[in-house]
Amino acid sequence: MPLYAQHGHGKSDKISTAFETGSIQGVVFGARNEKPANLVPYVREIRDTLQAQLLFDPQFYVSTLIPPNDRFLPEYPYYRPGRTAGDFVGARRLSEYARQTLDVQMGLDLDRLIAPSVLFNTFDDRWYQIALNLADASLDYHAGLKDPPPLLLTFAFSEEALDSRSEVDVFLDQVTSWDTKGFYLLIARTEVGYSQYFDKDRLSQLLYLTLVLSIINGFEVVNGYADFCGLLTRAAGATAFATGWSQALRQFHRKSFVRQTPGHRQPRLRYSSGPLFNSILLTELEQISDVGGLGLVLSNVGLDKMIADASSPEASDWNLRTSELHHWETLQSLEGKLSGDPSADFDRVVAWLKTANEIYVALKQAGVVFERYTQGQHIPEWVEGIQLFRSAVSV
Amino acid sequence: MANLPKLTADQVRSIIPAATDVEKLASGGQKLVFRGTLYHKAYALKFALLPAEVESEDAQFTDVATRAAREVEIMRSCSCPYMVKLGPIGLTFVTFEEQNLLYFSEEFITGSSLKTVLATDGPLPASEIVRLGVQIASAIQELWQLGKIHRDIKPANIMRSRENGDYVLLDAGLAFDVAGDSLSAGFLVGTPPYFSPEQFDYSNRRILDFRSDMFSLGVTLYEMGTGQHPFWSRRETSQNVYTKITTFTPQPPSSLAPGIPEALDRVIMRMLGKFPHLRYRRCEQLISALEEVRIN
Repeated sequence: MPLYAQHGHGKSDKISTAFETGSIQGVVFGARNEKPANLVPYVREIRDTLQAQLLFDPQFYVSTLIPPNDRFLPEYPYYRPGRTAGDFVGARRLSEYARQTLDVQMGLDLDRLIAPSVLFNTFDDRWYQIALNLADASLDYHAGLKDPPPLLLTFAFSEEALDSRSEVDVFLDQVTSWDTKGFYLLIARTEVGYSQYFDKDRLSQLLYLTLVLSIINGFEVVNGYADFCGLLTRAAGATAFATGWSQALRQFHRKSFVRQTPGHRQPRLRYSSGPLFNSILLTELEQISDVGGLGLVLSNVGLDKMIADASSPEASDWNLRTSELHHWETLQSLEGKLSGDPSADFDRVVAWLKTANEIYVALKQAGVVFERYTQGQHIPEWVEGIQLFRSAVSV
Repeated sequence: MANLPKLTADQVRSIIPAATDVEKLASGGQKLVFRGTLYHKAYALKFALLPAEVESEDAQFTDVATRAAREVEIMRSCSCPYMVKLGPIGLTFVTFEEQNLLYFSEEFITGSSLKTVLATDGPLPASEIVRLGVQIASAIQELWQLGKIHRDIKPANIMRSRENGDYVLLDAGLAFDVAGDSLSAGFLVGTPPYFSPEQFDYSNRRILDFRSDMFSLGVTLYEMGTGQHPFWSRRETSQNVYTKITTFTPQPPSSLAPGIPEALDRVIMRMLGKFPHLRYRRCEQLISALEEVRIN
């Protein structure tokens, strides 16, 4: 059950379509973009018609962001905007947050409950301590529930937290002592735009953290908003990874949950290329087609037919919906080649990445011009990150 | 070296008139230990010296007394057959010939400590290492259920019973109560060559739980299986021991003792993980892993 849809704004029929084509195996519903009154029948409908793992991200962490982009969250009983550290003082309050958040989920037919948490930057800031206390309160409340679904504890943190190995170790020592089913991990990206780039040292720590929690300690690990990087955490033992259809739902960026000034430009059409490990622009795919390189970058999934059958990518009927569904198809296709053996899977992933690098070099030499975030600078960084991780854990 | 009571067997008999056949056994840590018969059964009678400057009515509040009370409470609470039990005399305070003393009795295990076993008979075979691991892991598990960490697991604190060959963990005198006050703030307590890496952490930033005892048990299994300590030898300085425990990965036990199967190697090496999160997260998992070695 490795790839889940990260639900958010504008779901239309994308989730059910993706299930029908076998691109996803689960959904992480997001509270922000679904009214409580609509959520119950929606979850029931999916439960009744599809074989799926269903989870609900309460998005409690939005309550500490200012000004929040919280849409329907104020309709949920556990949510209140503008919470400060002072709102987390006292065990009774934390218990109440845990109770309210888990009770909402007990009313849904879910496979796992997801604990409330707050976003923190590093493992030594005070918000981290609050996150630990909330997790502890959630464990306590969950233990008293009658036949609840297993609990996943949420930890949502900036990728900067991964800079200190010693702090990661202290975090792992702490959370591996808890009696929980697993963890729902959200890594807030520091890149300003939508990019696959991940600093090699931080990536290495993320993989270490995932391996320790999953393979060594036997916890379930679900990486939310994981995008292409979710393939790496899967190789390191994560149970599943989730990613959404739009860019804001594919990766976790703090700004996505903070109110922006109005006036967004329309998203540009993208194509998620498995061989390039990237979601490139359709205009870039057009250039690639022009230099005769289309065969090198197509993901070899069902929706590719639309492009392969057209005279050129831009002349095809490729649209936003297709592009979004295709993203899951591509990730699913790559994920399906992983075996569950970290050593073999990292060998495989590194081989893919090396091929991706060669394709990028060849395309650039042929005159294809990529934009800042799509030119593949993440590939060598990922390879180095994987090497650092593997040498540290002998995988 | 801690101050020990100055007592003879005859003096013990006068302090505990019900005791017969009293003989001095050993002194270790902060206690002087006698063997004595109470109500037709042999027990260990343990005595500790309280600070002379403390008024007798305040003696129970000293660190020595608090530790002893913790040890007695653990022995009273544990039902695990692999943890030594309290005898008929609970914690008792007495002033004897100007010495403020405390004493209690505990189960007398007929047999030898593993330190003696190693010195006289050499390493244990793999099947006995598995048995030792399972039994002491059960004791660690029960201690943890009581919120306690032993902190001083080593061959000298484990007895092999002559009666049935079972292993029994002794001396919970340094046990750490997770919910209680620290009695060692700023000090390292225990036996450094058997410390877990996190026991060296003066700052208390790192978590200390049953996985620390699991590491010490791993050191003990390694030593009992190979005849060699994984991190310590007579020429090591204390600084070297610290560095080795926190950074050095010893060679697998089977490279020193070919009779140790690979599966047992893996279990012991995992117990020696440098961080708690690299070891087993539950004692049951460790016990299952050892049971699997036994089956295979």
